Amino acid sequence: MSRRISYFKQKGDPYIFASGLGLVVALGMVTWIIAVILSRGLSFFWPGDLVQITTSGDETYLGELWAQEDAIQLDADGHKIPVKQTQLKIGNRDLYGMDFTWIRDKNITEQAYPENAVTFERLEYGNFYGFIEAVHSGDEQYGADHPELYTKARQAYRLAREKREQLRETQEAMTELSEPLTRLQREISLLEISPEGRTDEGLQQLEEMRRSAEQLEQEIADAYQALTEKYEKLYLEERGIYLTVRTAAGEEKELHLSEVVRFFRPNQMGVFAKSWHYAGKLWEFVADDPRESNTEGGVFPAIFGTVVMVLLMSIAVVPFGVMAAIYLNEYARQGPVTRLIRMSVNNLAGVPSIVFGVFGLGFFIYFVGGSIDQLFFSNKLPEPTFGTGGILWASLTLALLTLPVVVVATEEGLLAVPRANKEGALALGSTRWQMIRKVVLPNAMPGILTGLILAISRGAGEVAPLMITGVVKLAPTLALDTTFPFLHLDRKFMHLGFHIYDVGFQSPNVEAAKPMVYSTALLLIVIVVLLNIIAIYIRNNLRKKFKTSTF
Amino acid sequence: MVNIQEDIAVTTPTEPQEIPAAKPFLANERIVIETQRLDFYYNPEAHALKNINIQIPDKKVTAFIGPSGCGKSTLLRCFNRMNDLIAGAYLTGKVLIDGEDVYDSKIRLEELRKNVGMVFQKSNPFPMTIRENVTFGPKVNGITGKDELEEIVVSSLKQADLWREVKDRLDASALDLSGGQQQRLCIARTLANKPEIILMDEPASALDPISTGKIEETINELKKDYTIVIVTHNMQQAARISDYTAFMMLGEMVEMDSTKRIFTNPTVKMTEDYITGRFG
Ligand SMILES: Nc1ncnc2c1ncn2[C@@H]1O[C@H](COP(=O)(O)OP(=O)(O)OP(=O)(O)O)[C@@H](O)[C@H]1O
Ligand SMILES: [Mg+2]
Repeated sequence: MSRRISYFKQKGDPYIFASGLGLVVALGMVTWIIAVILSRGLSFFWPGDLVQITTSGDETYLGELWAQEDAIQLDADGHKIPVKQTQLKIGNRDLYGMDFTWIRDKNITEQAYPENAVTFERLEYGNFYGFIEAVHSGDEQYGADHPELYTKARQAYRLAREKREQLRETQEAMTELSEPLTRLQREISLLEISPEGRTDEGLQQLEEMRRSAEQLEQEIADAYQALTEKYEKLYLEERGIYLTVRTAAGEEKELHLSEVVRFFRPNQMGVFAKSWHYAGKLWEFVADDPRESNTEGGVFPAIFGTVVMVLLMSIAVVPFGVMAAIYLNEYARQGPVTRLIRMSVNNLAGVPSIVFGVFGLGFFIYFVGGSIDQLFFSNKLPEPTFGTGGILWASLTLALLTLPVVVVATEEGLLAVPRANKEGALALGSTRWQMIRKVVLPNAMPGILTGLILAISRGAGEVAPLMITGVVKLAPTLALDTTFPFLHLDRKFMHLGFHIYDVGFQSPNVEAAKPMVYSTALLLIVIVVLLNIIAIYIRNNLRKKFKTSTF
Repeated sequence: MVNIQEDIAVTTPTEPQEIPAAKPFLANERIVIETQRLDFYYNPEAHALKNINIQIPDKKVTAFIGPSGCGKSTLLRCFNRMNDLIAGAYLTGKVLIDGEDVYDSKIRLEELRKNVGMVFQKSNPFPMTIRENVTFGPKVNGITGKDELEEIVVSSLKQADLWREVKDRLDASALDLSGGQQQRLCIARTLANKPEIILMDEPASALDPISTGKIEETINELKKDYTIVIVTHNMQQAARISDYTAFMMLGEMVEMDSTKRIFTNPTVKMTEDYITGRFG
């Protein structure tokens, strides 16, 4: 018997079993988390049916089924009794003050899916769920008895969009027209507060500037006046296009169509129509700007910020990391000092990322950025240009954070270069640098790319250091645009990781924002995976090219 | 850890010693490589070469034979200073090539290694195309002309007897060649530098008899124009291709003479025992 046990131990079956179990648990958790993110993140864009629920208290609600749960209720004697309850997204925040409500299932007396219930997605106050009572479009008016009421509403919606677009264009024209004047006025006020503005010379200059400002004002006055009138006229027209809508409870309200993003009747839509709608929403999510303090609309600026930041980080970290690794491996005399350096670099990977953030703030922003401002942008001071958080500083901070990863992976790649190849190069009379450039680096490229892949994965998901080095909730402009110098390294930026934090925990309407958190997380994962796939693809191609020589 | 250190301590022995005069059998030869009281240490405990005094003649094949671990490779690698790459190693004495001490600080290492080419035991073509392998040496030594490089590729491959086999696929990866072809490519790569001396450390030990035969043919051709030093474990090979043979043992140079004499009538008993396979 004991022999059997000892043989069992020798074979190590329990250990193999335990390690297999560990793997299963780890894989299970990963699969589970990905499944949750996938299902929650992707179902968000599906147009939910609108259910109308009447309760025993004679209250009527219209909305999307959101969740169902078993809750515990205390009765009069303090006994716990289980109850089922349903969460309904009722929207209409401007009327009810909140988007969600819980209804006890036992109180539900009637449940229906009205055909003509409409979901309105609005620019403000979230969704509106209700019924169209009348359409007002300028002088035209259609009541509830009109057979084509919904079609009329769509026509009115298109008209309203057009007006809105025209309004935007007019506004832009006005800004453009007054641009030179605004700039001049800014210069005047800057001069007024600066010490030079109080000298005789400065006063004279001020006088001159004021005169030319006046002149400029007169020159553009007529054109500006015309634009203002056009704007006002358009505005009135736009305000004339609206719907009268009724909530399930019977309350009526005017809904201006220029404030509506889209509206549809989910209960009438087939699978195909819903899929089309879904695709549109998905596209909006990746390609549009956010609305409603980020809880609605798209995340395009965050995608853009994340990708640009990761690219800048890679550009910064790879050359530095590779050079450091080459020096450590090929030039430095191996001994206690190199060992110490290696250990320090490895330990750098264990420093909490927020510490890197603080360092970035102190060194890059205050010291380097502050000096750049003093030297090159002193005319803008005290308004900082580089002396404040921005995409460059955030990228460099992350580059520092991911440096150890790149150094370690590159060192491994360098070690994997066959000694025979190095000796062969030297024996042919190449200098050490020629050997590194022509034989070692190409051979170590897979290792370097592994470092880059790890750095991207680590850097793209990092949030804490960004929060103090330049990420913002809402960036008005992208880091890359069509105005000179195209790449604006000083600008603040948005980031998907920070977006998750902001939407999920800082937004005024956390419940409504929850699906957005999943979708954004999913998107962040997809982007990291995509970046990695590109790097892996390149690495595999290189591997094929540099498969080590064999007999 | 592959660490490459190119600083090596050279200390001259304090007590003056008599340098042996040229061997009588080399009387009619021009001496290209000469070592004087060469001692080599991998570290203070590993004394790998002991008082080596050897003379290697011009445009001849000299073979080093001896049991494993006797220091043949070490001696060979002293000639082009490849031992410099080993951290902690140092030597005393002199290595003269064309009368110049190669360990002198005035010597440019790259020039020395261009002039003294080396073919390794295990073929080590670079993971590049065949053409790039051959042009590697000339390029790092400053030759840039396209025509000149092309000319070098053709002549080197022809000299290494590889041209016929690869002329249609010069831009294929060198790693796709057979083991024997790879080794001949390494010879061609060395020849492309137009060296004066070629050191070969068991160049055919990993090859089949046919490939070995081809390499030997190549060496026979090359000895018209180059001084060749070859390390080999194969007695027949040494007898077939070399003009002179040196027998080493435990870090010491036991005997050097014309190959014919070493294999028929060696002076030292130990040499005879080794050659006839009585030990080793
Ligand atoms: N890097 C090293 N560090 C320490 N000792 C070494 C090193 N390389 C070789 N040696 C020792 O130096 C001695 C000579 O080695 P060498 O490689 O020159 O022998 P060899 O004659 O070429 O042998 P083989 O025929 O097996 O190639 C051996 O005893 C070996 O153990
Ligand atoms: Mg050897």
